[in-house]
Amino acid sequence: MSLTYGALIGYLRDSLSINDADRESELFSSGLLDSVSMVNLLAFIEQSTGISIRAEDVTLENFDTPDRILRFAEASA
Amino acid sequence: MNALTTNFYQLLADNLDVRPGKPAIIDGHRAASYAAIAAEVDRLAGYLQSRNIRPGDRVIVHLRKSIAEVTAMFAIAKVGAVIVNVNTQWTVEQLDYVAADCGARVMIVEARVAEALASRRVSKTVESVLVRGKLSAETGFDIWDHLPEDLSGDEVPRLDTELAMIIYTSGSTGMPKGVMLTHRNIIAGARSVARYLELREDDRLLSVLPYSFDYGLNQLTTMMLMGGTVVHQAVPMAAEIVRTMQKHRVTGVAAVPPLWSQIVRLLAETPTEFPALRRITNSGGKISLNILQQIPRLFPDVDVYLMYGLTEAFRSTYLSPEKFQRKMGAIGQAIPGAEVYVIKHGEGIAHPGEQGELVHRGPLVSLGYWGKPEVTEQKIRPCPELWHLIGDEPVVYSGDIVRVDADGDLWFIGRNDAMIKTNGFRVSPDEIEDLVCRSGVIAEAVAFGVEHEDLGQAVHVAILPVGNFDEEALLLYCRRAMPSYMVPRRFHIWPESMPRTSSGKIARPDVVRLCREWMSCGGGVPATGTSKARINRNQTEENVR
Repeated sequence: MSLTYGALIGYLRDSLSINDADRESELFSSGLLDSVSMVNLLAFIEQSTGISIRAEDVTLENFDTPDRILRFAEASA
Repeated sequence: MNALTTNFYQLLADNLDVRPGKPAIIDGHRAASYAAIAAEVDRLAGYLQSRNIRPGDRVIVHLRKSIAEVTAMFAIAKVGAVIVNVNTQWTVEQLDYVAADCGARVMIVEARVAEALASRRVSKTVESVLVRGKLSAETGFDIWDHLPEDLSGDEVPRLDTELAMIIYTSGSTGMPKGVMLTHRNIIAGARSVARYLELREDDRLLSVLPYSFDYGLNQLTTMMLMGGTVVHQAVPMAAEIVRTMQKHRVTGVAAVPPLWSQIVRLLAETPTEFPALRRITNSGGKISLNILQQIPRLFPDVDVYLMYGLTEAFRSTYLSPEKFQRKMGAIGQAIPGAEVYVIKHGEGIAHPGEQGELVHRGPLVSLGYWGKPEVTEQKIRPCPELWHLIGDEPVVYSGDIVRVDADGDLWFIGRNDAMIKTNGFRVSPDEIEDLVCRSGVIAEAVAFGVEHEDLGQAVHVAILPVGNFDEEALLLYCRRAMPSYMVPRRFHIWPESMPRTSSGKIARPDVVRLCREWMSCGGGVPATGTSKARINRNQTEENVR
């Protein structure tokens, strides 16, 4: 299983009401997403990729932008 | 310690003679001294007065956690206006509802929100919008960065009994309600909390919770009162929190249950030492027992405070940290300077071993709900069961059922309006959920009653399983762990993490409503990832914490 850019942007739009996200949108450091949205987003990523995300990997380096999320998902697959 | 402080602006200003150069806020790579914040507060106060903001006017702050957010709150207080800090996770529609409800005249918002506001009709009470950050389109709004450098605003003295802040909390039904806090409420809250948490001038408290949430606001007010330092943590990721705690030698952390479980899981994987840490606190609900049990090992030599409060009375109880090991999950006793009673309606005060509704008395009792005197009268009113002690003095009815133990410590049982009546027994959903979660195979649970011919109500539980889940085995476990009347008649397997309120609690009314809807359309459990709970998580926040 893998996570595509389209699926991720679709999830951000449909489930987290972020309509204008692109590859470089800062989701967390900009304050767009709170901790609750983060938990939901992590669950979505785990579900779509089958990977299990370790708490210590949940950092801005890995998750702040859609591009970083996709890179992280690919590297962890 | 500013013994003379009586209002919100003085929390900041009383530090200026004593420690002007000391960092008041650390925010990422920036540190802002008390004097630097006061200078920017003065400029912004000048702006507000140039917009003809008068004492008592409401001004909305809708900014992410930042030095600017703190500056905005103190500037509003300096000109005697009322701070209405709205959670940045709320939608533009909710923001607009709040603006209209409180009749706000000025809003201070992020550029992103300003652009959304520009494309719709904003509440007609709003005369000016001040924008923080860079706009990508012309809006006609005022820009914070473009304000003249030489603006300055005069301090307007306020009585401590006057309105300082309105905190909007979403009710479980209907639109958000604004809880009115006086300067005295806020200062009394800060003094009480600073006393029992033993806060000092050399403390550095982490601020990860929103300032729009009274529990989050307390980190700021207590540090300003004591002349300490607040360390901002805008990103709520456990790994980032831990990094900030280490980097800035944080001495205290306040968080809510979902955040604690993330932090505890991280530290269990990667144990970390925090030599500067003195205490950690929880409020906003019960932390599950398996998380609580790991805390002493992960945070050795750190005082653990379990607390309870509701916005209408700011903060009510805490469990003294030396009792934590013995009484994990208890909410303890009244905080200093407040009184808490447990009432059996129509009977009197509950004795040890009994349960009843928690009511709160004292200087933290708020003025009630903005523009809703009839709702206020239901929530804050004289208590017949206390008449022999305090006469007609109004108290806050929490709506929470608690049990009193032999030492007088309180244990949260549940809401007085969610109790399940089955087979003649009154059962607390919290109790069922607690037991279900202790099975170890369930991460989240919401118990509720469903009308039943023979039983009155039957116990149903929505569950989020973890790992290899076997419903039969769970049922077997329940049968062993519970009295028979409590054993769930039916489980509703939730496909993903349950919907949350903006303060991170499970949005119980939505979970229950969706379960009922699924049952009425044939009882189907929603397929994973498709018929997800598409609800606005902010619409259903219970006021209780």
